[in-house]
Amino acid sequence: MIRNYFKTAWRNLWKNKLYSGINIFGLAVGLAACLLIGVYISHELSYDKFNRNAYRIVRVTMEYEKAGTVNAVATTGTKVGPQFKRTFPPVEEYVRTYIRQNIIKHDEKIFDEPRILYADAPFFKVFSFHLAEGDPATALDASDKIVITRSMAKKYFGNEDALGKTLTMGGKDFRISAICEDVPQNSQLKFDFVTPFLNLGNNVKDETWWTANWITYLLLRDHNSISQLQQQVNDYMKSTAVRKDAGVEGNNYLSYHLEPLTRVHLYSSLPGFEPNGSIRNIYIFSLIALLILIIACANYTNLATAQSAGRTAEIGMRKVMGASKKQVFIQFISESLIITLFAGALAIIISITLTPYFNNITGTQFSVSAFLKPLPIAALIIFSILTSFFAGFYPALLLSGTEVIGVLKKGFSFTGGKNLLRKTLIIAQFSISAILIIFTIIILQQMNFMKTKDLGYNKDHIVVLPIGGKMLSDFQALKDAFSQVRGVESVTASYETPEYVQWGDGISVTDEKGKHDISLNAMPVDLDFIKTLQMKLIAGRDFQQSDFAMMDTSNDYQNYHQPYLINETLAKKIGWTPEQAIGQAIEKGATGPVVGVIKDFNFSSLHDPVGPLLIFLNRDYSRDFMLRINGNDVPQTLSRLEMVWKQRITDRPFHYHFLDEDYNKLYQAEQRSSSLLSVAAMLAIILACLGLFGLAAFTTVQRTKEIGIRKVLGAHAGSITLLVSKNFLALVVIAIAIAIPLAWVIGNKWLQDFAYRINISWWVFLAAGAAALLIAFLTVSFHSIKAAMANPVKSLRTE
Amino acid sequence: MIKIKDLEKIYRTEEVETIALNKLSMEVKDGEFVAVMGPSGCGKSTLLNILGLLDDPDAGSFIFNGIEVAKFNERKRADLRKHNIGFVFQSFNLIDELTVFENVELPLIYTGVKSSERKKRVDEVLDKVQIMHRRNHYPQQLSGGQQQRVAVARAVVNKPKLILADEPTGNLDSHNGNEVMEMLTDLNEQGTTIVMVTHSEHDARYSHRIIRMLDGQTVLENIMV
Ligand SMILES: Nc1ncnc2c1ncn2[C@@H]1O[C@H](COP(=O)(O)OP(=O)(O)O)[C@@H](O)[C@H]1O
Ligand SMILES: [Mg+2]
Repeated sequence: MIRNYFKTAWRNLWKNKLYSGINIFGLAVGLAACLLIGVYISHELSYDKFNRNAYRIVRVTMEYEKAGTVNAVATTGTKVGPQFKRTFPPVEEYVRTYIRQNIIKHDEKIFDEPRILYADAPFFKVFSFHLAEGDPATALDASDKIVITRSMAKKYFGNEDALGKTLTMGGKDFRISAICEDVPQNSQLKFDFVTPFLNLGNNVKDETWWTANWITYLLLRDHNSISQLQQQVNDYMKSTAVRKDAGVEGNNYLSYHLEPLTRVHLYSSLPGFEPNGSIRNIYIFSLIALLILIIACANYTNLATAQSAGRTAEIGMRKVMGASKKQVFIQFISESLIITLFAGALAIIISITLTPYFNNITGTQFSVSAFLKPLPIAALIIFSILTSFFAGFYPALLLSGTEVIGVLKKGFSFTGGKNLLRKTLIIAQFSISAILIIFTIIILQQMNFMKTKDLGYNKDHIVVLPIGGKMLSDFQALKDAFSQVRGVESVTASYETPEYVQWGDGISVTDEKGKHDISLNAMPVDLDFIKTLQMKLIAGRDFQQSDFAMMDTSNDYQNYHQPYLINETLAKKIGWTPEQAIGQAIEKGATGPVVGVIKDFNFSSLHDPVGPLLIFLNRDYSRDFMLRINGNDVPQTLSRLEMVWKQRITDRPFHYHFLDEDYNKLYQAEQRSSSLLSVAAMLAIILACLGLFGLAAFTTVQRTKEIGIRKVLGAHAGSITLLVSKNFLALVVIAIAIAIPLAWVIGNKWLQDFAYRINISWWVFLAAGAAALLIAFLTVSFHSIKAAMANPVKSLRTE
Repeated sequence: MIKIKDLEKIYRTEEVETIALNKLSMEVKDGEFVAVMGPSGCGKSTLLNILGLLDDPDAGSFIFNGIEVAKFNERKRADLRKHNIGFVFQSFNLIDELTVFENVELPLIYTGVKSSERKKRVDEVLDKVQIMHRRNHYPQQLSGGQQQRVAVARAVVNKPKLILADEPTGNLDSHNGNEVMEMLTDLNEQGTTIVMVTHSEHDARYSHRIIRMLDGQTVLENIMV
């Protein structure tokens, strides 16, 4: 029986190669989208869960109010870990962590390593990073110990056993105490080396609430105690003694939140050492995969019901021979099952082929084997079966319900007005496609806007050279050397590059009404900052050499004055016009005069409006040189810089990046969403058109006789083409009309997240609608033109 | 009106070559009523399709109203056809999705007649074929005889000079068949030239002349008295 079903099913598929091809391809693409996105989602959902203690670990984040502003950060001071362990019995262990870059050397091998983790000794007890060699209990118990991952062992020692060998980091020798397996992709802590936390230097030896640069994790005795512990922490931080210890006064407060480790990656709004994922993206990605699959399913349903007209005779005959309704139903479901299983197999091939592109779009590093595991395959099979039911259910129901009488009644027509389902499905497909197209255009426009927006400085042709090691002590000599390189126009340095300033600070200004506190962002810079970055001064001047005279460190800073530049927003906030501001005093530790007011520039992501900013002259904080080079022959200039670097700096490899690239990285998440959406929009419209192509082929065949008659009566090719196309095009027009308001709402909602954004212009809708309509028209007219050109004698010769 | 000489039509499929018309010559005068008879497959329909400018011959000459049309392209044939020729088929060939009225209206739409004029002329012919009361029905709601009357109405609504009928009574009982034959006779008497393919000697007797065909050639002509 089953064999018979499959045999007929197979023959039918073979007979209708075009429709079967469209269905298999469409469903395969839909299933591949689900598979790829499914693997991605399960990766995101699995974050940090490999830790045996995952549900007992919390990340401590800090929230505080100062000068009227509330701040929340994922980092905490050094005191939080030890103090909480001493105070709260539910806390079993704490680990403070920090990840930074450093130069690592072994014999001839010297590399700038970006992922060096500093962590307290219980690190390997709290987290489950498996040590291939070495003892987790003692791996970090002495300051000269370092743990390296397997790939690092390979990188520095080749096939030798690295355990017990020595590495030089920042000029000091370290003993390799353990070899750790490489860190899994789904870990929020990603490192290549681990060394004790206290190696960070003298500034971490003291326990303080402030200077919050470190991420603290707590291991609890019981995972149920989180909310109870949170309550205890809240009460504790409100107590007078602790407030006094932390120096919190008046309305200000300091508090800590406990985030379960497994929720950090997807649910926390505070990024740690790597940017977080977002549960919203998970939803959007799932929705996109599902929409594409729905479009593919709709194609199946449509083509199957369309073909059913031709199969009433077969079904009638089967029923005459004694087949029950159920048996006919099963037969048609088997057909859709065969199709989807084919599609499923094809989906695996597609997924594997597209893995590199997918990795590129999502920023993941899946290997082909990620899809060939039992779990995704099993999921795919189950999904295929569900899909086959979903897509095949209605056609099967419709066909199994055919009355025997239907066999005798010829002219069973499917072109009449009752194909509500089919029309609805076509409208849905094209609405989805149009929404995706419009939304994609909007995102791309916003991306382009952000890339080309006048930021208030010129980010192009700025080379950033990170400062480290002994470079600070040679500052002036290095600056001079870089300045003299041909192609370099101007050199400055600063603590942070201007595209993303995070340094938070507070100042006081005194006027007739008294002293005001203002919290703001601040950046210490070197001379030539304004000039190098081509910012605009509205009043006053840039810092100059003679300003250093003000900064008199003698007499224990008695006569120390700090010159300041402020931005327009800060001047406005204080209540000064730019001209008034010049010469006014600002107090931030040291008091000093405002020497200039600069036009606002975007020093944070375009999601946020420009806030008040204070720029102060202090080159000792410098972490990056910034060099403006001219655009002629950039590679030459870079290689000259490398030569100068190698002559003067021996303990660090030459390492540079461009400011505009750093800027673009700020919008990586948006970049990814936009790439993914572009692909999805393209797939959606291709699949929808494939379905339309099949349907058009089908209706044209159905209407062969009518077309023949019309031609006999004098219709010309144009009017026939229009006749066949217009019904489909009407549906597409309705779909576009539905899509436009929805896309407008979605687009605006998305844009709301940006303080600086485009206005959605009407031509976007017009262009997207016209494009969808044109593509649909070309698809349909392929068949209608063919039909219109056909010889009518042949069409009518079917008696 | 029609003058053909040495007309040839050959169908080529992958395996076989069928000579449907083999150097066929004949003539039809203005106002004549000609019946074409012959066994199945002898080329009658092929001949009628070429006469109706639906198909083009492979060789030979075809003069229609004094013009050589054998080499006309599709567009020119269509133009000539829609103004001069009406068709009646054995299987009626009405469009199922259109009402009786709309079916009959179709040729007028394609020749660009204005809407008000169309309505008048369609109602006129529907009245003539006595199907006026069914004007808003769909073909499948009519009997075979009624459907063929609609088809005749559609064929004449444009006032063609020539009507080509391919076994117009083939699907009808004798009563309905006779009705259709009377209608064709009436039209002929009003001046329309008619060429009709038929298997029925009875129907053939309505014509002025019978052309008998065999294997793509005319073999005999009977002049009716
Ligand atoms: N489109 C076609 N392709 C191939 N052979 C055809 C075609 N149309 C007609 N024939 C063949 O040409 C011959 C004449 O057909 P036709 O004119 O339909 O005959 P009849 O006299 O029955 O109307 C037949 O043998 C038929 O099979
Ligand atoms: Mg015939």
